[in-house]
Amino acid sequence: MRNLIVVFALIILGFQANGQLYMAQNGEVSFFSKTPLEDIDALNKQVGSIINTANNEVAVQMRVTNFVFPNKLMQEHFNENYLESDKFPSATFKGKIREVVDLKVPGTYAVTAVGTATIHGVTNPIEIKGTIVSKGDQVSLTCQFDIKLVDYKIDIPKIVFAKIAEVIRVSSKINYLKK
Amino acid sequence: MISASQLLGQDDLLNMLNQEDAKKITYTQATFKGTRFINGQTVETIAKKHLNFWISHRFGALNSGFMDNFLGLDEAKIRLGLEYGLSDVWLVGMGRSTIEKTYDFYTKYKVLRQSNEIPVTLTVYGSLATNTMPTGYSLPSGNLMRYENNLQRQTYMGQILIARKFTDKLSLQIMPTVLHNNKVESIYFDNNLYSLGLGGRYKLTNRLSLSAEYYKNIVDTENFFKTSGASYPYQDSFSVGFDIETGGHVFQLHFTNSKGMIEKHFISQTTGTWANTDIFYGFNMARTFSFEPDKKK
Repeated sequence: MRNLIVVFALIILGFQANGQLYMAQNGEVSFFSKTPLEDIDALNKQVGSIINTANNEVAVQMRVTNFVFPNKLMQEHFNENYLESDKFPSATFKGKIREVVDLKVPGTYAVTAVGTATIHGVTNPIEIKGTIVSKGDQVSLTCQFDIKLVDYKIDIPKIVFAKIAEVIRVSSKINYLKK
Repeated sequence: MISASQLLGQDDLLNMLNQEDAKKITYTQATFKGTRFINGQTVETIAKKHLNFWISHRFGALNSGFMDNFLGLDEAKIRLGLEYGLSDVWLVGMGRSTIEKTYDFYTKYKVLRQSNEIPVTLTVYGSLATNTMPTGYSLPSGNLMRYENNLQRQTYMGQILIARKFTDKLSLQIMPTVLHNNKVESIYFDNNLYSLGLGGRYKLTNRLSLSAEYYKNIVDTENFFKTSGASYPYQDSFSVGFDIETGGHVFQLHFTNSKGMIEKHFISQTTGTWANTDIFYGFNMARTFSFEPDKKK
């Protein structure tokens, strides 16, 4: 039923001259873990996201397997052992931009998105501060936030505990096009 | 006027994204932990610019006596190997085995990757083994091996590896094999040996898996007995073990009736049998090094 609504909505939107959705297919999300022993970073360049300017709602979705690590063995461990991407293939955020902004008006806006993040099958409330730069039909969103591994039940074994930080810094840059 | 997009809540937006995402191909990750099961190869290759260093070790047979051989722990055969990823699907490698002082060179290329569209991963594998023993040494079968030139010292091997990851825990593989010895130990042996390998792994936990492999050699042993008057001296290879993963290392601990760690030795020259407890305890250790530069530094 829900899918039907989406399909209908998309059809209606297709006929709308001034769409109010901003969409992104190739957003970038990276994370960084820093410990005295090892720095680990990974980048996902295939992040999908939509902002609906009609009600300021936002959704972000990415495949966990699309995170690219310089060390491929680490990438395998990340998928196989920590994020269990066979069981939990995607990481998502859904929420609402708290500030009242009109993205069609070019400018730079400080925004706060309030919602929930789902990682490793665990959903937690989250508040993300970011910046939106609008050029009218193109907007780009940048933000940084921290993820605590225990909040998402990501277990790090004792033997590699010292190599992986308990709090991971996540950075994101997503360029949207008006649909 | 109420705009249609006001109807689209967070969940609808997420649904739209999920529908977009479903159109993309999903490749299966990590069918096996390592590039080899125990003795033989898996469909896995290593990533581009990554180097694997393999140390493989087999102790003596468990039935070789406590006083004489400390249940096999007194003796050891090893193989040292390196393999390097030329691309994400193509690797080259080489190694040196204690057994018959053999150098081996090989390459492995992943032709198909299992995905939501293709049911299996298919890898082709070819190797060359060069025996550098002094001529006229005796084989475990009792036969004497003499070489007249270097060409006779070569053994070629080709394999097609087909694997499927059935669940996140269970992966199975089948490997039709052909092995060609330029020189065989006596006229009763065929230069070509055909064999069908089967292998599998079952993940017990995220870092521990059980693996096994079996090679069924296609040899007419009755005909061998009729023509040579002796029973065929070689057996099918069966190995079973555990893969343990700790960060950058993979440890493989196993029991096998084969002493050799390359195809020439474990497929065509296995003399031990499980029934006689000619079982060799051994381990492989792989360390992966990445030469991929970290772009952020």
